[in-house]
Amino acid sequence: MKKLLALVLAAMLALSIVPAMAEDAVEITILLEGNNVTDDAPVLEKLNPYLAEKIGVTIKPVWGTWANFDDLALNAVTSGSDEYDIMFTCSWTKNEYAKYAKAGAYVRLDDPEDDLLAEYGAALKDTLPELLFEGAMTEGPDGEKGVYAVPGFKDFATMNCWDVNVTLLEKYGYTLEDVQKAGFYGWDEIFAKVKAGEEADGSVFYPFVFEGAVVERFVDNTPIVTGDSGLLLSYIMNADDVSQPGPYGNVFVNKYATDEFKAFAAQMKKYYDAGYIDPAIAIGETATDTWRNAQNTANYLISSEVSLYGYEYTTSAARGIQVAYIMTHSDPYIDNTSVQGAMMAISANSDAPEACMKFLNLLNTDPYVMTLLNYGVEGVHYNLNDQGEAEFTDARANSYTVWTNGVGNVTLLPPTKGQGADFQQRFAEFYGGAKKLPIYGFTFDASKVNKEIAAVANIKEAYALTLCTGAAADVDATLAEMLQKMDEAGMQKIVDEANAQLEAFLSGK
Amino acid sequence: MTALSHRKGHALRLNQVSAGTELIFHIILGLFAACCILPFIFVVIISFSAESSIKTIGYSFVPAQWSLEAYRQVFKLGDQLWLSYFNSFFITIVGTVVSVAICVLYAYPLFRKDFKLRGFFTFFSFFTMIFGGGLIPTYIVCKNLLGMSNNYAALIVPMLVNPFNIIIMRTFFQTSVPFDLIEAATIDGSGEYSTLTRVILPIVKPGIATVALLTALAYWNEWFLCLLYITDRHLYPLQYLLMEMQRNAEFISRNSSVMGAASAEAVRNLPNQTMRMAVVVFIVLPIACAYPFFQRYVVAGLTIGSVKG
Repeated sequence: MKKLLALVLAAMLALSIVPAMAEDAVEITILLEGNNVTDDAPVLEKLNPYLAEKIGVTIKPVWGTWANFDDLALNAVTSGSDEYDIMFTCSWTKNEYAKYAKAGAYVRLDDPEDDLLAEYGAALKDTLPELLFEGAMTEGPDGEKGVYAVPGFKDFATMNCWDVNVTLLEKYGYTLEDVQKAGFYGWDEIFAKVKAGEEADGSVFYPFVFEGAVVERFVDNTPIVTGDSGLLLSYIMNADDVSQPGPYGNVFVNKYATDEFKAFAAQMKKYYDAGYIDPAIAIGETATDTWRNAQNTANYLISSEVSLYGYEYTTSAARGIQVAYIMTHSDPYIDNTSVQGAMMAISANSDAPEACMKFLNLLNTDPYVMTLLNYGVEGVHYNLNDQGEAEFTDARANSYTVWTNGVGNVTLLPPTKGQGADFQQRFAEFYGGAKKLPIYGFTFDASKVNKEIAAVANIKEAYALTLCTGAAADVDATLAEMLQKMDEAGMQKIVDEANAQLEAFLSGK
Repeated sequence: MTALSHRKGHALRLNQVSAGTELIFHIILGLFAACCILPFIFVVIISFSAESSIKTIGYSFVPAQWSLEAYRQVFKLGDQLWLSYFNSFFITIVGTVVSVAICVLYAYPLFRKDFKLRGFFTFFSFFTMIFGGGLIPTYIVCKNLLGMSNNYAALIVPMLVNPFNIIIMRTFFQTSVPFDLIEAATIDGSGEYSTLTRVILPIVKPGIATVALLTALAYWNEWFLCLLYITDRHLYPLQYLLMEMQRNAEFISRNSSVMGAASAEAVRNLPNQTMRMAVVVFIVLPIACAYPFFQRYVVAGLTIGSVKG
């Protein structure tokens, strides 16, 4: 009996050693967001041995969804747990890169004393455009500026575009140029003709469909100011050359107090009263659905879209019409918001920051790793056609849908069907030609005026959508009322604070 | 009462009201019942509507076109659907049994006048109804201290003790169990445990059923715990599966101004309206079936007592 016991114990000991020997690779846990992944086993089966051999690391992804986007990162950061080694981070929603970096949740990657980037990320540094790291600079817990996350190489420049249903436009004898030449303030005639024509059969047709909360940016050329969570500040950019100072110079203004906004609201009112705009667009709850629905069913003439390179092919195919995009400014512009849109940070509580950096380095430079993690396994989740384009299978839709932009360097991926073999090259070139805004690199620190921002943002919520969609009964009166309430709530203090910060930033540049 | 109805008139039986009053009551209660049932019927109808019908005429009791597509899509969820179903049942059953046991065992001493620490323990539970630790401290205690992360415990333990239910149960003890009964049992030689299980529990069955119903509902409908503590999809209850679909859509719609084209891409991958409604039907059916079962006891509780007269 004793012998048997000894034998069993010895066998167990031997068994326990075997995997231990194979497992000298460091396992790191990665929090990814915006996915719908139910089965990652086929991917990890291939990926982990490759990683273990190449850099001595294996990964365990935690697949966050859109639903828990806000909560996962917040929980990880506030509980100070060492659950995740690498965390997705960004500058929008509650996953606030700048805030958490300042709170000390992330490892500084370019720390002069322990420069992880230089030591383990040389290839990464060479591959990603320098300006991405510039945009990722933010203040750390010590008050020094540094890089606290690896920015994603994706569509990092913003293009505010009018989305035009060319098929419908040409049916009424207009061309894309007509739309472009007339501009936002001159579309009355086109709208009238198309509306009348489409409604000849007694149906209802709204030619102008847009996102009410955003469309003002397209007309007045105001980019998002990073750190301005209430979307209250405006920096009016130079639409003819986005890299040059705007008409007001490099200052912030109260978005709603400008003459530009007044003219914009008045024009929207005209369009609304003429019946060119669906009233459902002016109601917060239905606005987004109405806008997207009209786009997807090709039931519009002109719409708004924050577009990306090559997007017209995707939408044309999906909607069954010819879609074209008219950019509302000279070039795609680079601002912090788009650069900080998707990044990977190493948790300050991680036991193995070096291993994390090695992995991030490989993820952003090795097409095999990036494609495997992003698209899945070739032959299972996607197939490559003769042109080298990826065609996704049902298996990917059902069990392995990864948010492409949330992972890393998208230029390493094979193009998807219809994009053409040299898509990634064109993509990289296109964004390489994008221009930096004069205020690029500036992040507004709202901590001193948090109270005012909350108050003013509430007032904005109550009025802005009706003004921006033309649904207000009396534009001048409503606008005046909103501005007065904003003034009382301390709007000027916010603008002054932002300008003081911007001045300090520009003089230090 | 008998005297009263005699004085008022002729043919009215005990507890009977006049035909006119009865009609009005029926109408009022009928309307109330309709208010409760109509939204659910609406949900069922939407789940059987074609998505194109919703896009063109919106939600309607009479959709332009019927379709089983939503249910086909739900079944496409495959293992996840049945796994979530199992999780929901498992959490609800285990949670309810343990929680009700704790509730009864906590409430019983509080009702006993001869229990010295009664005041302290009443306050001890009542205090948590007024002052909570807040979300983040609770989260840290549960996750870091108690290790409740990605396991069933995380979905069951945080809701085990409910002070409100304890108070309901204690009050039920007070109103339906006369102290004489306990004295009688003691005189007959019954120990504390056998008094509780053989004498008291059969009397308070309706109270237990009420608390069990409340607890079962709470467990069945719970999704927030899952949002906080669970990232492993194999542990998702059905409720969270639905909540995730809903929150996915909300998140993208709320952030579409920043996400731009990426949001349109993401929307395309989301379950549509009818499918979400079909999942609602899946969620509501089992718990709706459980209602009549509990209801028997709840109604019985109004008429049954231990000491007559």
